[in-house]
Amino acid sequence: MVLDGNLKELARLTAETAQFCRLHALPEDVEFDVNLVLEELFVNGLQHGGCEGMKAAAEVELALVPDGVAIEYGDRGTQFDPTLVEAPGIVAATPGEPQIGGLGIHLVRQIARDFEYHRVNGWNRLRMRRPVPSEGK
Amino acid sequence: MMEATEETRGDWRVVCVKGRADAEAADALESALRSAVEANAKVAADFSALDYISSAGLRAVLQAARAAQTKDRVFAVCGMSASVKKVFDMSGLHQVLTIHGELPC
Repeated sequence: MVLDGNLKELARLTAETAQFCRLHALPEDVEFDVNLVLEELFVNGLQHGGCEGMKAAAEVELALVPDGVAIEYGDRGTQFDPTLVEAPGIVAATPGEPQIGGLGIHLVRQIARDFEYHRVNGWNRLRMRRPVPSEGK
Repeated sequence: MMEATEETRGDWRVVCVKGRADAEAADALESALRSAVEANAKVAADFSALDYISSAGLRAVLQAARAAQTKDRVFAVCGMSASVKKVFDMSGLHQVLTIHGELPC
């Protein structure tokens, strides 16, 4: 799936993720998590990576693997390795003023396993896996 | 696609949120929650028909909670599905918001 750098592409990303998950009879919580991971990465590229307005700004590929869903995401934004981001301080260190920076990447890292990043020919390339218990397939 | 409607139950103003609180809907969600907080002493966000939330939706809820705190209003979130609650739990925001399993009214 190729996405232009426009927030309106989220609807297509959601629809195609749903189609993939239904095709493979994956449980709803898996669809929810895959959708969440992809939205967070795509929106991060739009808002912080300079992908807003780019044609063919991002690419997504999903595949069923024996132990879950393999997620490949790439964008042409500025170099950004989310595997190096420290866990953000969204948690209520100070109850009145919780910090929310980096929340999306924090969620991605909570959900995804085997998170890998490479910078290849001007693309941020991420690979990860959302585990699926075998009885849930 | 997100839809927010309001109704009064007892002394609570309830904002019923339906659909998806994603990055595209986040501004509308924040606006709906904040306008309810502006106009009412006790506001509950009913998420029982909310199918999905991302960090953008969480930020909208947090901004509404902050607005409520500033204005000394009561703001609660209730009725979350297991998947939506998991996102709140992963974020840590469940520690700073008032969350009820069911509507408080």
